[in-house]
Amino acid sequence: MNQREGYTDDVVKGFITWSIIWGVVAVLLGVVISLQLAFPQLNLPPYLTYGRLRPIHTNAGIFGWGIGSFMAFFIFITQRLTKTRLWSPGLARFQLYLFNVVIALAALTLMLGFNRSKEYAELEWPVALLVVVLWVIFSINIIMTIIKRKEEQMYISLWYIMATLVGVAVLYLVNNAAIPISLTKSYSAYAGANDANVQWWYGHNAVAMVLTTPPLALFYYFLPKSTGVPIYSHRMGIIAFWSLVFMYLWTGAHHLLWTPVPDWVQTLAMAFSVMLIAPSWAAVFNGYFSMNGQWHQMRENYLVKFLIFGVTFYGLQTLQGPSQAVRTFSAFIHYTDWIPGHVHMGTLGWVSLILFASIYYTVPKIYGREIYSVGLVNLHFWLAVAGQLIFSITMWVAGIQQAAMLHATNPDGSLHYSFMETLVEMYPYWHGRALGGIIYFASLLIFVYNIVKTVTAGKPAAVTQKA
Amino acid sequence: MLEKKPIIFLLIATGVILIGTVVTMIAPFKWINDPKLKIAEVKPYTPLQLEGRDLYIREGCNNCHTQTVRPLLADVERYGDYSKAGEFVYDQPHLWGSRRTGPDLARIGGKYPDAWHYKHMADPQSMVPRSNMPKYAFMQRPLDASLAERKMKALGFPYSQAELDALKGKSEMDAMVAYLQKLGNDIPWRKAARTTVAGDIKNPFRDDRSVLAEGKSIYDKECAQCHGNDLKGGVGPSLADLKQSEADMFKIVFSGSPAGGMPAFGDILGKERVWKVVTYLKSRGH
Amino acid sequence: MDLASGYYLGVTFLLFAVFAAIVARTYSRKQRERGEAPKYRMMDDD
Repeated sequence: MNQREGYTDDVVKGFITWSIIWGVVAVLLGVVISLQLAFPQLNLPPYLTYGRLRPIHTNAGIFGWGIGSFMAFFIFITQRLTKTRLWSPGLARFQLYLFNVVIALAALTLMLGFNRSKEYAELEWPVALLVVVLWVIFSINIIMTIIKRKEEQMYISLWYIMATLVGVAVLYLVNNAAIPISLTKSYSAYAGANDANVQWWYGHNAVAMVLTTPPLALFYYFLPKSTGVPIYSHRMGIIAFWSLVFMYLWTGAHHLLWTPVPDWVQTLAMAFSVMLIAPSWAAVFNGYFSMNGQWHQMRENYLVKFLIFGVTFYGLQTLQGPSQAVRTFSAFIHYTDWIPGHVHMGTLGWVSLILFASIYYTVPKIYGREIYSVGLVNLHFWLAVAGQLIFSITMWVAGIQQAAMLHATNPDGSLHYSFMETLVEMYPYWHGRALGGIIYFASLLIFVYNIVKTVTAGKPAAVTQKA
Repeated sequence: MLEKKPIIFLLIATGVILIGTVVTMIAPFKWINDPKLKIAEVKPYTPLQLEGRDLYIREGCNNCHTQTVRPLLADVERYGDYSKAGEFVYDQPHLWGSRRTGPDLARIGGKYPDAWHYKHMADPQSMVPRSNMPKYAFMQRPLDASLAERKMKALGFPYSQAELDALKGKSEMDAMVAYLQKLGNDIPWRKAARTTVAGDIKNPFRDDRSVLAEGKSIYDKECAQCHGNDLKGGVGPSLADLKQSEADMFKIVFSGSPAGGMPAFGDILGKERVWKVVTYLKSRGH
Repeated sequence: MDLASGYYLGVTFLLFAVFAAIVARTYSRKQRERGEAPKYRMMDDD
C-alpha cells in the first residue's frame, strides 16, 4: 500500500524496530532494579547499582520506547493525515541513526555516573545537546510536511502532534540550562527551591507532552481506523485539547507540596491538577461514546481491546493523579511506593497499550502481511494487563501501609515506628512487584516474537484492504 | 480557521503553554529569591563537601533519599526541623528527590559521628541488618579532585589554596562523609530543638522485670548498631558496666549528647520507651 | 477581601469567560458542520 501512495515508510519500520528493542531493555532493567530493591546483594557496585541503573530504566522507557515509537507514528500518521509524502526522507533516516546513538550514549554515560540528577533530565550536557538536535530535525520534518499538506483540514491528531513538538522543545531547553565544568560534568543553572520548581514544571509536563499528548494523537487516529467508525465528537476533542495544553503547565508544583516552594504556587498546582480531570475525561468519553453500538468489537477486534483498555487506564490515572495532588492526601502518600504504582499504571497501562495497538495495526500494513498469530496477541494482552495490575496494586497497598506506619504516633506524641520498622514491611510487596514486572516482561517477549514472525513469515495481506 | 493554518496554530499553542509557565515557573523566582528568606548562617560548600555532593549525584543517591523535611508531625519528629527555602541557595542542582526508599537526609549532618558513616557506607547491613542499601566500600578509593577549583569558581563559592591542597590523599568516602555531615547543619536547629528534661525524673518501671523484653527489643533496633549487640561498644562506647544514675541515663538517651555523637531519641521513642531501654540497660549492669 | 484574593477571583472569572467563549464558538450552529467534518475523513482510505 505504501508503495502506491508513495509514503516514506522505511523509516517508520526502523523506528518501530528500535523502539521495541529499547522497550525490552527498559522493562528488563525495571525487573532488575525491582529485584535489587528486594535483594540488595544484587547491586554490583560501582556500575550496576540501583542508583545508577534506575535513571537508565526511566530514560530507556520514556525516550527509547516512548519517544522512539512516537517518532515512528508521528511520521506514519502525519503523512496519511496530510496525504503528503514526508518532507525529507533523508533527514528522517539521519534522525533514526542519531536517535539510536543518543539512547546508547545515554545508557552508557548514566552507567558511568555522568548524571545531572534531575529526574528525566539526567543526561549530561553533550548528550542533552544531541537530544536537542534530534528534536529540531524531527520537528522541522513534521511541520514542513504539514505545511505542504494536500488536505486542508487538520484532524485532531495533528493538533496533538504539533503541541508535542513545541511543548517538548520549550521544556527540555529550559530545564537543561547548565553551567558546564567539563565534558562529563555540569551544574544546573538554577539553585535550590528555584531549581526544584523548574525541575517539576519540566517533570510533570514531560508527563503531559511525552506521555499524554502523543498517545492521544495515536488514540484519535488508530481508534477510528480500528473500529471503522468515526470518533464521537471532533469538537469535544478540540475543547479538551486547548484545556489540556493550557492547564497542564500550571501543575508541576504538585510534586512539591509541603516543600519550601511558595505556598501559592503549590495551591495553584493543586487546583489546576483537579481541573485537569475534565479534559482528560473528555478524551476518555470520546473514546467510550465512539464505541456506541460497537462494543461487540471488544470481543472480536484485538486492536480495539488494547485501545479501550488503554484509554480506561488513562481515565483511572487522571483520577488518581489529581487526588494525589491534594495537599492532605499528598502529606500521607508522597515519597512512598504508592507513587511508582501510579506512574506504572500510566506507562505500562495507558501509554504501552496504545503503543502495542498502534504497532499491531501498522506493522501488517506497512509490511503487507497479516498478523502471525491472533492467539498470541490475546495472550500478550492478558499477560500485560495482569502484570501491570499486579505491579500497581501491590505498590498502592505497600504505599498505604508504609504511610500509615510512618505517620503512626503513640499517645505521648512520639512516633510509633522507626524508619527501618516500616522498611522491612516492604519486602513482601517488593517481591510481588518484581513478579508483576516479570509477567509484563514475558508478555513483551511474546509480543516481540509475534511481530518478528509477522514480518518474516506472515501471510501476504489480501489485496483489497479495509480502511 | 485554526484547523487550516498550522503556523498560526503553532504560535497560539506556544502562547497557551507559556501562560502557565510564566505564572508558576518564572514568577516564583521573585518570591523564592526574596531577601527575607535568606539565612545568614547558611554557608556555601567547601571544596571537600562539594566533591562529596558530586559523588552523591554520581551514585544517584537522590533516587532513594529525599532532602526536604515537610512541616508535618511525622517528618519533623523523625528527621528534625522542617526545611526552609534559604537553606538551599547553594544547591545547584537541588537534591530534594521524589521517593523515600531510605530515610530523608536533609538533617543527617551531625546526627551520627563520622565513624558511623564510614562503617555504614561501606557495609550498611553491618549497622542496620535488614537495610536494602547497596554497599559503597569501593568509595574508599582516592578522590579525583582535578576539577575542584574550576567547580568552586563556576559556582562562585569562596575557597583557599589550603583547602584545595587538603584534597590530596582524601578518599571518595572522606568527601561523601564531609558532605553528609554538613547537610542541614548550618542553622542551629538541633540546639533549638533539643529538649531539656526538667522536673522530677523517676523511673516508672524501676525493678519491673516485665518491661525488660521490650527494652531489649528497642535496644536491638535502635542502639545495637553503635553500642554492639552485646553492649560491648563499637562506634559508641561500651554500655556493659554503666555507673550513671537512671536519671542521667534517661537524659542522655532522651536528649542526646552532641559532644559524644549520641543522637536524641526522645521524639522518636517517647518517654515511656526511653525508660524501658534504661531499665533494660540497668538490669544488664548488675 | 484583600488585594490578592481579588486578583485570584478576577483571573478565575477571566479564565472561565475565555473558556465559555471557546465552548460557545466551537458548539455554535455555524461551526457544527465544519467542526465535525474532519472526523469523517478518517473513514477514507489513506
